[in-house]
Amino acid sequence: MKTLVLGLGNPILSDDGAGIRVAQEVGEKLNDPQVTVAETSEAGLRLLDSIVGYDEVIIIDAVQTEKGQAGQIYRMGPEDFSLTKHFSSPHQINLATALELGKVLDLAMPQKITIFAVEAKDITSFSEKCTPAVEQAIPELVKMVLQELNAKHPPEV
Amino acid sequence: MKKIMIDPITRLEGHGKIAIFLNDDGGVANVYFQVPELRGFEKFSEGRPAEDMPQITQRICGVCPEAHHMASTKALDALFHVEPTSTAKKLRELLYSAFYVTDHTTHFYILAAPDFVMGPDAPPAERNILGVIAKVGLELGGAVIRTRHENHWVIQTIGGRPIHPCFGLPGGVSKAINEEERAKIEEIAKSSVEFGKLSLKVFDDVVLKNKEYLDMVLSDTFTHRTYYMGLVDENNKVNFYDGKVRVVDPEGKEFCKYAPRDYLEHVAEHVEPWTYLKFPYLKKVGWKGFVDGKDSGVYRCTPQSRLNAADGMATPLAQEEYEKMYSTLGGKPAHYTLATHWARLIELLYAAERMVELVRDPEITSPDIRTIPTATPDEGIGIVEAPRGTLTHHYITDERGIIKKCNLIVGTTNNHAAISMSIKKAAVDLIKPGKEITEGLLNRIEMAWRPYDLCLACATHSLPGQSPLEVTIYDAQGNELKKLSQGIS
Repeated sequence: MKTLVLGLGNPILSDDGAGIRVAQEVGEKLNDPQVTVAETSEAGLRLLDSIVGYDEVIIIDAVQTEKGQAGQIYRMGPEDFSLTKHFSSPHQINLATALELGKVLDLAMPQKITIFAVEAKDITSFSEKCTPAVEQAIPELVKMVLQELNAKHPPEV
Repeated sequence: MKKIMIDPITRLEGHGKIAIFLNDDGGVANVYFQVPELRGFEKFSEGRPAEDMPQITQRICGVCPEAHHMASTKALDALFHVEPTSTAKKLRELLYSAFYVTDHTTHFYILAAPDFVMGPDAPPAERNILGVIAKVGLELGGAVIRTRHENHWVIQTIGGRPIHPCFGLPGGVSKAINEEERAKIEEIAKSSVEFGKLSLKVFDDVVLKNKEYLDMVLSDTFTHRTYYMGLVDENNKVNFYDGKVRVVDPEGKEFCKYAPRDYLEHVAEHVEPWTYLKFPYLKKVGWKGFVDGKDSGVYRCTPQSRLNAADGMATPLAQEEYEKMYSTLGGKPAHYTLATHWARLIELLYAAERMVELVRDPEITSPDIRTIPTATPDEGIGIVEAPRGTLTHHYITDERGIIKKCNLIVGTTNNHAAISMSIKKAAVDLIKPGKEITEGLLNRIEMAWRPYDLCLACATHSLPGQSPLEVTIYDAQGNELKKLSQGIS
């Protein structure tokens, strides 16, 4: 069972780097040849390229919702993005469309995709640090991702 | 007309906004296009070693990291007063050409094709890549994915990493390629040429053979007579990686041609109170507002602008297509914004052909990939053509090579004034008193800016993973009439 842990975001744009930070910390705590830890700043089709060939994918990203509080953590499946599926975009297709495209083209798509997201406060200022509330949420997110992985792959004693 | 002041806070929400203000009659009074600006890059880069800039600047943009990496690497060549070896230059251009193939493919099939294949009035649920594949066929969908996938392999093989290359160094590159890699890249390049030809055939079948679309391409609604900018080689042919910046006037006559180091003599930036993003213009013509014509310093740099600014393409198949395009459009320069999609596909074919040339060059596998810099660094400017416009990196350092000042003019910024003008013209022509504002109508307004392949807050990729954009229409009293959001849910 090949699993990919993918941190999404931009590591020099404040809270947008949260997903990458979490993936890096998960990578340091993990020693499982079945699990690949990667990071990317890409969306749409390039994201599709990254996940093809894995059985399970865990994506960690920053999110901005209307009423969310900075640091709030969400656990979602791709179905939670179905609302945005058919919007076109100035640049790329969104995650839901990318996944559907992969299915239509019969690519080796993951059977399960889980998305962990943290509510971001600032994603437009250049900084290698997250804002305090997001910084605080990072250890919790790392724990959640590790639990998700352990549930699937119990560590050998 | 009620004047709406736009709260500065709304400028910072991380998505692009188009605000259309109607007059009392229900016609268009004014249009504002706002791009969220990412803050503090200059400060962020100050105090860092210049050699880090190709790694850092490519994080600015989630869409074209390769372009920033390349402009930055070239700025470092200039900063350290070093000439890269011939093989290093060719490897850089080879990677950059593969990047162009992937980027132009994405734009055409994801963004441009749905409007034409599905039609501008098709419901958004169908007007996307899935609709295109359903109509044109799975085989083409497979070719799109395969071409992108293979060329990403080329980028990774030459650049050392997927997505964010790490091979650009002052004076050269960090790694050579071997014969096995070269042979595989040659196969990919050849298949990319076929894909480029196929894409032009799709354009021919879908757009050019449809009179309604061709009329739309040639209509005044989507036409602007501006100056055009693009990099050219020593024969005035289009080049993405190197050369001089050439500008032609709206009649197609050369206005100026300059080396990257002289850019500040030719380009200045205008500021408007309603947006943080600046409006570059030709200094020697001057800023005359958001207007067309020879007296206005507004210029464009898009695929079509690059073709307008050059005397032709440096490869045979692309040159044939170049001639066909101008003969169909009635000569050079072409002012039809929607024809940019056509020019983009000609550039895709050129990029693929250029890959074949470069990968067959006997020098390409040479280990002579670096000239070690020995001079003291001071100031350096690097320019490449990013897919969405001329990209300039300018660094000033102390004698240790520590950044003191950094200035960037990114692709989309060059086109900022023209994008605003294109949106306004389309809105004025399409929104008429008493006519219902439908989704299809708004999509036609979007079609005015889509050819620019604009980069909004493209450095941020927070979920839902696309650059959101919002179009709001206000009546004469400033009440919101209609709002169309993309990627904001």
